[in-house]
Amino acid sequence: MTGQALLWGGLYALPIFVRSDFLLTIFIFTFIYGILAVTFDLIFGFTGQLSMFHPAVFGVSAYMTHLLAVHYKLPFWAATVPSAAAAIVLAIIVGSICFKFRLKTFYFAVVTLAFAEMIRLGVMNWNSVTNGTLGLVVAGKPTIYWPGSGIVPVKGPIAWYYLTLVCLSLTVLVCARCLRSWMGRCFGAIRLNEDLARTLGINVFRYKLLSFAIGNALASFAGGLYGYYTGYIDPGYLGINQSMEVLAMVLLGGQGTLVGPIVGSLVLTGLPHAIDLRAEVRSILYGAILIFTILVMPRGIVGTLNAWRSRRGA
Amino acid sequence: MITVRSLVIALTILVLGPLSANAQDVVKIGQIEAQTGANAIYGWMSSQGTALAVDEINKGGGFKVGNKTYKIQLIALDTRGEPKEATVQLKRLVEVDGAKYIFGPFLSNVFLAVRPYAGEFNGKLLMWGGATRIHDYVGTPGHEFLMRTWNWDAGKNGFGELMVDNLVKTTGAKKIAMLFQNDQGGKVLEDIYVPMFKAKGIEYRLDYFEPGTKDFSAVLAKIAAWKPDFLFPSYADSYLYDIVRQATESGQLTKFFLVRGSLGPGLKNKDGIGEYMVYVPKYFEEAEKKDPKVAKFIKSYKDFYKRDFPYDQAPLCSASCYDHVYMLVEAMKKAGTVDDPAAVRKALMSMTYDGMWRIRFDEKGEAVFNFDVVRLKKGGALEVTHINPN
Amino acid sequence: MTQLVLGQALNGAIIGAMYGIIALGITLTFGITGIVNFALGEFMMIGAYATYALADRGGLPYPVAVVPACLIAAAAGYLSNKAFFRFTRNNLVNGLLVSIGLISIFESASMLLWTATPVEMHFVLPGALRLGDIGLPKMKLVVFAVIVAVIVATYFALARTWLGRASFAYAQNPEAAMLMGVHTPRLETAVMLYSTGLAGLGGALYASLYSLEPAMGGVYVLKGMEAAILGGIGSLMGSLWGGVILGVIEGVGSIFLPTAFRDAYGLAVLVAILLFRPSGLFGDE
Repeated sequence: MTGQALLWGGLYALPIFVRSDFLLTIFIFTFIYGILAVTFDLIFGFTGQLSMFHPAVFGVSAYMTHLLAVHYKLPFWAATVPSAAAAIVLAIIVGSICFKFRLKTFYFAVVTLAFAEMIRLGVMNWNSVTNGTLGLVVAGKPTIYWPGSGIVPVKGPIAWYYLTLVCLSLTVLVCARCLRSWMGRCFGAIRLNEDLARTLGINVFRYKLLSFAIGNALASFAGGLYGYYTGYIDPGYLGINQSMEVLAMVLLGGQGTLVGPIVGSLVLTGLPHAIDLRAEVRSILYGAILIFTILVMPRGIVGTLNAWRSRRGA
Repeated sequence: MITVRSLVIALTILVLGPLSANAQDVVKIGQIEAQTGANAIYGWMSSQGTALAVDEINKGGGFKVGNKTYKIQLIALDTRGEPKEATVQLKRLVEVDGAKYIFGPFLSNVFLAVRPYAGEFNGKLLMWGGATRIHDYVGTPGHEFLMRTWNWDAGKNGFGELMVDNLVKTTGAKKIAMLFQNDQGGKVLEDIYVPMFKAKGIEYRLDYFEPGTKDFSAVLAKIAAWKPDFLFPSYADSYLYDIVRQATESGQLTKFFLVRGSLGPGLKNKDGIGEYMVYVPKYFEEAEKKDPKVAKFIKSYKDFYKRDFPYDQAPLCSASCYDHVYMLVEAMKKAGTVDDPAAVRKALMSMTYDGMWRIRFDEKGEAVFNFDVVRLKKGGALEVTHINPN
Repeated sequence: MTQLVLGQALNGAIIGAMYGIIALGITLTFGITGIVNFALGEFMMIGAYATYALADRGGLPYPVAVVPACLIAAAAGYLSNKAFFRFTRNNLVNGLLVSIGLISIFESASMLLWTATPVEMHFVLPGALRLGDIGLPKMKLVVFAVIVAVIVATYFALARTWLGRASFAYAQNPEAAMLMGVHTPRLETAVMLYSTGLAGLGGALYASLYSLEPAMGGVYVLKGMEAAILGGIGSLMGSLWGGVILGVIEGVGSIFLPTAFRDAYGLAVLVAILLFRPSGLFGDE
């Protein structure tokens, strides 16, 4: 518990000491990807379903949020709601198909991957709406209500830092709430042994779908934030390598924990900038770290730390 | 490894905030290009050329501006073609390293992602790269920091116009089939050449393929059924080798018109092609024999990198590369300062530099330089035309 | 039009055979040892570059260069297994992650050696066979014949020999197989060697047709996975059929529908198969 307090306290206090745009940007990206990683972990680490669908909602909501804001003159937050709704609809469609047919882990991964790829190809070629591979430039900014000044746009690294941190915190809170409830227990049961869970009377289909829908809906916010922060959206957001990155973050940080994915995100986002090496050598190192983690530290950083602590009777 | 040095730097930043780099006798040049990854082909030559130029200048004792001698520190970062990486890297270059001169990017998606941040330093930064999308912004208000180091296809200085005119005049071509990859580059080529063909009354068709395609039989068969006079294929060698080979193998498409890419695919298939007409910033094999500057460059390259000279890739050194380092130094001398990018930019815009290329910038800040048009005939006979818009 | 469709069907079948040889590697590894080798594309890349190095730089005649190239790929596979893969048996996600790590490592090593500039091998068998309006490059036909021969030979070797039966016994129940006298670690190594060697062969054949770049393996392993699932994991001939069907669908689909969506056709069929016949077209229920 104190570990968590320390972590969150530290993160919220960080900009007091750190003013460098460069470092703050690393954290901003960490938080945005952290949302993706945590929500992915909800589906994967907690419910046991390896979903490759995250890039699809990430990309689709990035496009939708921007396009709705521009075409209907909506403020950022208003535009994220229909995007989240779209993510839920997509998740329900894809999830229903997969779970109705009782696809096992590996095949579930393949089918979600296939759907994500098909959506990517659609987005990439729907030139009239998405501008295809030319991408879209996002000039708008999210706005928040600041007491005293009214509605202000979010500008500058510190504002973005807190915005993304708050969104991440809310995501974690929502996930934690779900997990602590009856829902969470069902997820866990499904992850451990699906057939057994079914015999215990758990509606496996419903809970898998719930986990999938919630995870994807929350992930959609990351898409909107990312599009607005980087100022540019292109079909690459829906690519497979996003899935790989998020998976690596969760595994490195610790699957089945809520903080693990954030740690993983921080390490994988920040490490390339700390290691001053030839580009190809750095890639080799990345691969080696991944392999090392999975074979030697399968519970990830946080998982191993937790196990360590409980063994020491903390 | 995570060096102690990098950790110390990071900690120093944490405590002191952004360092104000007081460049006393060092001018820092940052570079953001894709050195690795799927698009490394666009960043690789630039990173090779700039490093060579910087080394030569430093070994020669540096350069003098006013009564101070300066050396150059080149900080070349690998974006891996990822906009997210590039954003953080540019921030590091500008904030931590204090670099005021940025070479790159060549990739449009990287450029679009870093543009807003670079724009915040308008007036305090100079960024010049070869990215196609820079064309949309260069010369517009708020973008005085920006320049584009590659020439543009259309317009009065455009090589594309010239080549198409030449094509029609010498071959009477009336039907051209375009085959581009579905990405930024392909789309921009569509935007440039479709109107051009329309204006000249040339019948055209346009097919796109997904990046990563290796086997083009299906689309080539479709195109062959349309019986074009020339095939106008994509811009990257990684596709051209396969497209040209598969087209000539089928025997039905043997005439090629290219505005990007190298001579390599044509030479490899020289017995199968009917005609292969390509724009090359410089035909290095010939230039090596005729131009002492080029010969010197090639020799220096081989001595420095201890590997064969990449004749195929060398034309890409026409953007933010070897010549441009020297040109920047000339501009700094002319402006009388190394610390004022705005003044240096003004100097760049008012000069013509004679290196391997004869480079000057138009009123918007886009490069105009001389190039070659190479016509390869069946059997390998070559005809090189040198065009100098300056 | 029929000429066009027929031509693309034939071409698609040939390309599909290339998917098939990777699929065979995947199906053998996963079916027998329960290990997911998602990095097979990298072994294909190794085989391709090795062939290029031996044939073009080393001056060996192409058919002679192919053999050591496969061995090099197999050696790389052996090392990968010994160091990493054998610890991921039956653990799908770990296998996937180890594969991703290996992909990073191999691709970057290849970049260091060869740079991102594509290389093209000399043309081994130029020229095409003409059937009316259809032109089929001769080398493609050779490639097709070789792949089919290898896959069929593998099938017979496994279906009819003691080693084959032992493999399947091991796949069903490793402990029982061990008790029956099957030397399991050696079997696992053999499967790894063979499947990566197959990928290497695929790469060697690929080198005779296309230009090479370090990232070439990525697309193929994905298609190989699709083909393996389509045919049914565990079915050897299924991997060939799965590959061919996938190739034909993509080729013919591109004629009638936009080429931009070519990859989607195969994916759509794959999803349909997985939903309605998850064991693939030729697998057992």
